Formats: sequence, structure tokens, C-alpha cells
Amino acid sequence: MKKKLLSVVSVLLMVALLAGCSSSKPTTPAQSDSSSEKTYKVAYIARAQSDSFAAWLANAVRDEAKKYPNITLEVFDGQANDDKENSMIENAITNKFDLVIVQPNSGESQRPYVEKVVKAGIFAITTNARISGIEGASSVDAQPYEQAAVNARAALTQIPQDAKVVVLKGPSGNFHADERRASWQKEFFDKRPDVKIVGEQIANWNKDEAMKYMEDWVQANDKIDAVIAMNDNMAAGALEVVKDNPKYTKMFAYGVDGTAEALFLIKEGKMTSTCLQNANELAEKMLDASNKLLTGAEKEINTDIGNPLVTKENVDEYIEILKKSGTIK
Amino acid sequence: MKLGSNFWSTVKKKYSIYMILVGLFIVCSLANPNFLSVNNLTNISRQLSVTTILALGATLLIISGMLDLSSGSVLALAGVFAVSTYKATGSLLLALTVGILTGIVCNVINAIMVSTFKAPPFIATLAMLTVARGVALLYTKGQNILQLGKFTELGQESIGVIPIPIIFLIAIAILTWYLLNHTRFGRSLYAVGGNEEAAIASGINVHKVKYTAFIINGIFVGIAGVLFMSRVNAGLPNGAINYEFTALTAAIIGGTSFSGGIGTVGGTLAGAFIVGFLDNIMNLNNVDSYMQQIVRGTIIALAVIYDIRSRNRRAKATLVKAEDLGADKQ
Repeated sequence: MKKKLLSVVSVLLMVALLAGCSSSKPTTPAQSDSSSEKTYKVAYIARAQSDSFAAWLANAVRDEAKKYPNITLEVFDGQANDDKENSMIENAITNKFDLVIVQPNSGESQRPYVEKVVKAGIFAITTNARISGIEGASSVDAQPYEQAAVNARAALTQIPQDAKVVVLKGPSGNFHADERRASWQKEFFDKRPDVKIVGEQIANWNKDEAMKYMEDWVQANDKIDAVIAMNDNMAAGALEVVKDNPKYTKMFAYGVDGTAEALFLIKEGKMTSTCLQNANELAEKMLDASNKLLTGAEKEINTDIGNPLVTKENVDEYIEILKKSGTIK
Repeated sequence: MKLGSNFWSTVKKKYSIYMILVGLFIVCSLANPNFLSVNNLTNISRQLSVTTILALGATLLIISGMLDLSSGSVLALAGVFAVSTYKATGSLLLALTVGILTGIVCNVINAIMVSTFKAPPFIATLAMLTVARGVALLYTKGQNILQLGKFTELGQESIGVIPIPIIFLIAIAILTWYLLNHTRFGRSLYAVGGNEEAAIASGINVHKVKYTAFIINGIFVGIAGVLFMSRVNAGLPNGAINYEFTALTAAIIGGTSFSGGIGTVGGTLAGAFIVGFLDNIMNLNNVDSYMQQIVRGTIIALAVIYDIRSRNRRAKATLVKAEDLGADKQ
């Protein structure tokens, strides 16, 4: 009985595998030439679709791709795991995609695999964050250093003398997390030795973890003048803790990403500033670059989106942008 | 003399976890003057309420020889469904009901895999962990649900001086204690976990016991999901990652044995507070994140070693007793 079951399962697996192979069979030039316009297969390999910015970006890429009839896009999820993401890049080469976009989990780990893509004669684009210095590969990015720096430069004059601040960091080893923290160090802490960090922890980009740390810091310190968070989720978590506490109405809070929640907090005057990392703009540039590369209009493209600082003065403008893109309903 | 040593050994065996808790409490009070403030102690309880509710569900399952790795993911799924329900209807009660129902449905599926199809609980609930998180992410497209309005009252408000999540925790702890100590179901849980074959032989409906344990766990996870989202003021599909491990840690430190048949509500609560006090004092004193991980890991390792050693001692004592009885008969 068991043997029978095993054989049935094996046969089913074989059928599924064969079906998978045939469905992922690349379009042959003959087939595509016969159609009126050549269609190109593009693989978008996301860092992780479970992180809210990466998910926003993946959704934006999907939507943007619909505007290009000559491009069929497949999205893969690297699940925040270097090994899995690298295997997906290798699979994309095997399945002969025409262009592979990689949003690296940790840049250096994906570098040799993106190099393999280029070597196989396939166009490669790295994004959020770019892996620089790969000959023949293109890139579309925001600059994590600059995203934090625009906040840090503003904070130089905002945060009072001898202030006590807390710092909420992203996961250790993550390129954006490390770059943003390094930027705060160079652009702010090195220039303001009077400012004391009374708490610094890794809250892994998460609102709930940030809340827990902030609750403890509020107990441990008689005052906290500013929350310096490497993303908006963590800044929002810290603000959630002190939202009804009159002692903290003048506290400064900084983030990065420009999530809907952060924009509303800035509008209410609870958060000081963020830097918009516009996923829609990244997606537009990525698909535009893909189209230009695939149609032969250009051979290599390296471009950046802007790093606009969002404050109470200009927040309405950005809320409008997110509303138009459907990110805020 | 012998009576005295017996008394101390019983006290040590039964109450060592509480002694550790009290000792830690004293050390923490000395290590930071802010530790003892009412606000801080309320904070710790509020922070612990969600994971401790999960830990109480985990205790029921571990006692009966099972476990649930999916509780963090199911919590997130139940939470986002509850948040959506609230946003669509404005009814807190309906939102809570949807959260609980989601927890129950996921856990009935767990029970089907574990009890009916005899899948190892580790693998079955690992599968549910992935599926539930996937559904939560798919449903929300990976985005947080915002602007929850009065939904936050459940997680952030207090009745008198006691925060609502703590009231839920106390009610659930009393219910779990009652179930374990004063019902047939409770006795059956210990019997099934202690020796499943013997439990079957003595006429216990093992399937029913396992299904009931999972369903109760589902109710707890559903409530925890609603409290969690309400506390963070958002529907977070990524929320509560690794909470299942925090819950298991509390249960294990509290003396619940992975080999089944052993565990108490008091032990789990003490385990949860030991972890909570440690986390809190390390944050109050701004201990580095990496060091915090090392301390937490070491505590788990020590608790497991203690559990194994005391089990070996118990087994030895039982063997000696059996041999003595045999000798008497001869």
C-alpha cells in the first residue's frame, strides 16, 4: 500500500516537474519573431516580499510592467535569505530570461551571481541597493547614505544642546541599515559631540520591537529629546509609546522611507521628518531602463531617484503623490 | 533530619522557578532604580501579555506532547483579519470574533495534520507557520493597515489602573489553570503527554483531547492577535515574527517538559516574567543587542539542561522506589 502511494506521489511529482519545465520554457526567437512585436521575459528578484518597503516596490514593479506590452514580468521572493536569492538568480539564468532585476538581500553576497547573469549574455539591473562596479550591469537606486543624511543635516540645527537621543537600527549586516547608521554618525554624531545616545538597539525595521525598546527607554531616562530611526516603521513605533505623554510633545523623530503612516505623523506634527524612498519612482525608472536595454536603445544605465526630505511644510505634496499612485487610499 | 532534607528537596523541586524569579527581581531592583517603578512594572506586564497568552496555549500543547510553531504567524493573520473587520464594520466585538475564529480554523487544521494524519507537530505547525504568514502577506499585499481608530483601545487602554491586555492575560491564565487542575480534560492532557499508549488503554479519547488542546490554543492565539494589532495601532502582516519561540521559551524555562506530561500555569507565568525582567533590565541599562541575544540563549540552554537533569533524577527515584518495592515483596 505504502509502495503504491509512494509511486503515485513520485509520478505526480514527475508530472508537476515536467509541467513546470514546459511552462517556463523560454520563448524561442522564431516564435517571438512571428508575432508583431518581440516580447521579453524579465525576472524581478525581490529581497523579501515580507518587508513592507520591498513589498511596496514589488507591487509597484508589477503595476509598472503592465504599461509595457513587450515585457512579461515574473516576480520571485528571495525571502530575506542570501542563499535562496542566489539560487533564484541562477534559476533565472537557466530559464533564459532576457533581463534580470535583482534587489539584493546583502549586496556582496549577490555580486558573483549578478556577474554570472552578465556573463550569460543576459541584461542585469541591480536596485535598492545597487551593487556597484559590475561591468555590463545597470543599476537603479536610491542612496541609503543620502536618505539618512538629509535628515541628519536638518537635525544638526533642530536637536538641542546636550540632548539625549535614542537610536533604532535595522538588521545588522543589511546594506541600507548599515549605510543609514553610518550616515547619521558622520553627518550628525561626529559633528555634535554634546549629544548623548542613551539607548541604541536593533529593532529589525519592526514597529512592535521599536515600541518595546522605547517603553523601556522612557522608564530609564528622565528625558529623551529625539528618536533617530533608520526607517519609518521604527520611528512610528517609538512615537506610539509616547503619543499621549505631554512630556514628549517636543521630541524630534526621524525616519526613512516615506510610508503612509510616517506622512500622516508628520502632518499631525508628531514626527519631524523622513526621506521619501519612492517605490513608484524606482519602479518607473527600472522598467524604463529595462525597456531601453532590451530594445537596444542603450547598453548600460545607472540612475538614481531623488532623496527628498519630507517635513511638515511639504508633506501635503507627498501625500498627494502617494494618493495618486494608490499607495494611500 | 531526614524530614528536613526531604522538605527542602520538595521545596527546591516545586518552587525553584519562583525562587529564581524572586532572586532576579531583587537583582534587577538593585541594578537600576527605575526597575521598581509602578510604570515600569506595568510596562513589563503589558509587553509580556501577548507572548504570555501564546505561552499558555503552548503549555497546554506541550503538556500533551505536542507543540505549535505557527502561533506567531497565525497571530499576525488573525490580527490583520480582525483589523480589516473593524475597519469595515466599526465593531470591536465582531473584530475580536473574527480574530478568534481565524485562530480556531488554523489550529483545527493543525489538529487534523497532527492527530488525524499523525504528522509530527513540529513539521505540521511549521507548515502552518509558512502558510499563515503567506496568507497574511497576500491579503495585505505586504502593506501595513493603518488608521485603526478606536480599535487601539483594547491594547492601549486600562480599566482602572490595570491595562486591558493584562486583564485578558489574567483571565486566560485562570482559565488555563482551572482547565489543567480541575477538569477531566486537564487530567487527560497530562495522561496523553505522559504516555499516549497508556492513555488510550485507559479509555481516554486521545483525538478529542488533541483537537480540544489545539482549539483552545487557537482561541488564545486569536485573542493575542487582536491585542497585538491594537497595541501597535496597525495591522502588521509582518508582526510577531518569532513570537512562537518567545512563547516556547517561557514555557520551557517555566518547567514545561518537551517530553510531555509535565507543566504548570504558574511555571509558565514565572518563565515569561523571568524573560521579561531580563529583557527589561538589559534595555534599562542599555546592554548591547548582541549581548542580549547571548544572555537569552544561555538562559534557554540552562533551563533545558535543568529540565533534563531533574527528569533523570525523577526517573532514578522511580527506579529506586520500584526496586525497593520488589525487594520488600521478596
